[in-house]
Amino acid sequence: MPTRQATPATAHTKRGLDGDRVLTAFCVGLPVLGLLLFFLYPMAIVFLRSITVADGTYGLGNYGEVLASKGFWRATWHSMAMGGGTTVLSVLLGFVIAHGLHRCAFRGKWLIRAAIVLPLLAPSLVQALGLIFLLGRNGLVNRFFGLEMDIYGFWGLLIANTLYALPQAVMIIGAALVLLDARTYEAAEIMGASPSRQFRDLTLPAVRLGLLNAAFVVFTITITDFGNAAVIGGDYSVLATEIYSQVVGQRNFNMGAVVGIMLLLPTVASYAIERQAMKRQKGQQGTNSQPFVPQFTPVRDLPMAAINFLIAVLIAAVIAIVVFASFVRLWPYNFELTTRHYNITLAGGYGSLWMTIVISLMAAAGGTLAVFLLGLGLRRVPSALAQPLQVLAAMPAAVPGMVLGLAYILTFNSTATPLYLLYGTAALIAIINFYHYHTQAFLTLQTGFRQLPPALEEAAGSLGAGLGKVAVNVVAPFIAPMLVSVFFFLFMRSMVTLSAVVFLTTPKLNVAAVTIMRLDDAGLTSQAAAFSTVVMAVVCAALIGMKAVLAVMGRGQTRPAKG
Amino acid sequence: MYLTVRNVTKRYGPFTALDDVSISIEKGEFVCLLGPSGCGKTTLLRLIAGLTDIDEGEVLLEDQSLLGLPARKRGFGIVFQSYSLFPNMTVAANIGYGLKIRNVPSDQISARVRDLLEMVKLPQLADKLPGQLSGGQQQRIALARAIAVDPRALLLDEPLSALDAKVRAELRGEIRQLQRALGIPTLMVTHDQEEALELADKIICMNHGTVVQTGTPEELYNHPVTRFVADFMGRSNIIPTDRIRAVLPDLMAHRPDGPEDAYSACIRPEEITITAAPAGTQTVRSIGFLGNLRRIETDGPLGPVLVETHGQAKCNEGDAVTLEIPAQACTWVRNDPAGPVA
Repeated sequence: MPTRQATPATAHTKRGLDGDRVLTAFCVGLPVLGLLLFFLYPMAIVFLRSITVADGTYGLGNYGEVLASKGFWRATWHSMAMGGGTTVLSVLLGFVIAHGLHRCAFRGKWLIRAAIVLPLLAPSLVQALGLIFLLGRNGLVNRFFGLEMDIYGFWGLLIANTLYALPQAVMIIGAALVLLDARTYEAAEIMGASPSRQFRDLTLPAVRLGLLNAAFVVFTITITDFGNAAVIGGDYSVLATEIYSQVVGQRNFNMGAVVGIMLLLPTVASYAIERQAMKRQKGQQGTNSQPFVPQFTPVRDLPMAAINFLIAVLIAAVIAIVVFASFVRLWPYNFELTTRHYNITLAGGYGSLWMTIVISLMAAAGGTLAVFLLGLGLRRVPSALAQPLQVLAAMPAAVPGMVLGLAYILTFNSTATPLYLLYGTAALIAIINFYHYHTQAFLTLQTGFRQLPPALEEAAGSLGAGLGKVAVNVVAPFIAPMLVSVFFFLFMRSMVTLSAVVFLTTPKLNVAAVTIMRLDDAGLTSQAAAFSTVVMAVVCAALIGMKAVLAVMGRGQTRPAKG
Repeated sequence: MYLTVRNVTKRYGPFTALDDVSISIEKGEFVCLLGPSGCGKTTLLRLIAGLTDIDEGEVLLEDQSLLGLPARKRGFGIVFQSYSLFPNMTVAANIGYGLKIRNVPSDQISARVRDLLEMVKLPQLADKLPGQLSGGQQQRIALARAIAVDPRALLLDEPLSALDAKVRAELRGEIRQLQRALGIPTLMVTHDQEEALELADKIICMNHGTVVQTGTPEELYNHPVTRFVADFMGRSNIIPTDRIRAVLPDLMAHRPDGPEDAYSACIRPEEITITAAPAGTQTVRSIGFLGNLRRIETDGPLGPVLVETHGQAKCNEGDAVTLEIPAQACTWVRNDPAGPVA
């Protein structure tokens, strides 16, 4: 038997194979090591800290204390009420918009699509800022109508959260609406079903899972969001602000950890249910389905267009007013236009903006490379190993940014391990941003990998290309659009995220979203607006850059139409 | 005339999908719309169904115009290539959906559904969801769903194209049986000439948005009027006039009058008798083995000529051969102005 392997040809193949094995191990090992070190380990630390009582021993004392405190129950109740209210409102409006976009025929849909994207381009506290300029004590509405409306608290936060979560709801419900084949509707039509009957018997059952899915996503976004709650929540404390005040206000890390773990429970549950729902939805997708093309029907389309544009205008107005206010000399007394608010000296001025751009570039480049290596490696390891790793890679989305941030400060601000060296560096903020959005980046790239025919890699392999060559010459070009999307997604999210990084910034190392919050805290609302405008401009530029790159790539790749 | 389409034109911007098309279907007749993709056959079916608007012309059902009548009030049944079962309803609910809309009592619906499931030989699937069925099963259910409401006509849009060869052949036979048994006037769109030959009472062959030839399968196969139809209905040898005049002058007898390049001779490969003979003018280029058939390619003064024989070939590659072509095996076809379409 050993004599057989002695021939030079086999020996050569074997060496090639080993090289590939090492490379595969590297591809999988490096990103997995990152996940262990920068996700699982900090999460374990936060859990341990939550059960570490005052004398340093383990016990459930902290939980007992938190559960006995009135403040916690009030914040929990507020979070649930806010999550529930925002979910109902966002899913309802999200369905109306998605139905308008995909199932109705009217002009100017691109305006609605554009408005829907806006909240994703801004830090989450911009909705709150806009609402304050619009409906606050010195807001346009109160001034104009001489009212004394108070926007701080439940209603203000509800509107801000809804405006922030709506785009996600629209996208998820829209994706569900698109799945249903036009031929199915035609079959129902020929069988005699009226339009309202088709809506009831076909559309509603088809989007049921989408609605459920959207509800869970919106609920999670809402109860974990910190920016809007910090700016417009007022006395209406929620779990996210409760963690912040425990940690930053009272330096009570263990209690913060307890509240963090409590916040983790509903988000993990809702994320798990959402993933199950998505799996079921995928099973329904048919092959060669025909997209639905709505015919203009005035009775249906005119009211739908009106509602759609109204919501779009609301979303856009809240952001537009922030931009406008940033140019106004003294809101709301002197509407003379000026750029003086852009002269920001407090909170480190524009230093944090440049720092945020550098951090975002690091997170985008490193993160894209990491998920690419992981996706590449996972195709080549046995499924018994690949499956648990995929679950691990999809886990970070279930962890609220506040909790991840808390976990990082507990892990990296401790001299117990050499990881302490990372504390206070831009690299650590880039790392937390990447792991905060790891799931979305990973899943986006996975959809790209799934479209890559295995035969393509096998063909290259049988021509003698090793894994390295296959990755660079075959795989990367094929999924290049996905890589570009992931890069810009990580960049844009890192530019605007607040919840995960709020604990990690130091006076010397600040990021844009935190600066905006500090400016607003200091009462410099117009400067906060100016800074927000600059951040939105950078993110907008990135979005346009992404579209341009994808358009150029798409032009190079157009294939001749079939048949 | 049961269903009539009269002088129908349909344009999409500058593209004319249908140009002054007229067709008709008799009661109980099975009609196939046959043609290459993009010839307008599916557009025609959708116009009849009411799923697409007509620019000019009219559609009549038993002398009543269907114009302005929405698809849901026309009382047709339809089956698409993509099955298009309602994904959220069970098989039984799918089949019974049309009856439910017509407010038929539920006990009658379930009885009817049971009968239909027997008819398509899938009684065990009543409670399954479409996603759990194979393509062939789904299409059988789609067929049962379409005939559940006793439609005034059955419209089939490439119903077999998404299925694999074996299932396709089975279902083809069942569609024919079912249609004969129920006597529903049926219009089927297909690009598969074999399917059309086996199923149809009448074939309407279309190209570039116009009807090229209408007739029984035998008429279209044996007497195509244009080179396009000859090419589309199976293999044929298309030989220009000058070569026929030079080699087989007997066949010129029934050539219609017209310019030299207006007509070509169409000769089916299986009509030719091939004999190895040293004096023969054609030479065997290759012999292909197709199981029950031998496909022999020859070349010579007639140009390339394809011959099909059953059983063992009586010649070898490189042999000189004579080709015997009976006069009735030669049909003169018009050369289409647009040229042959593959």
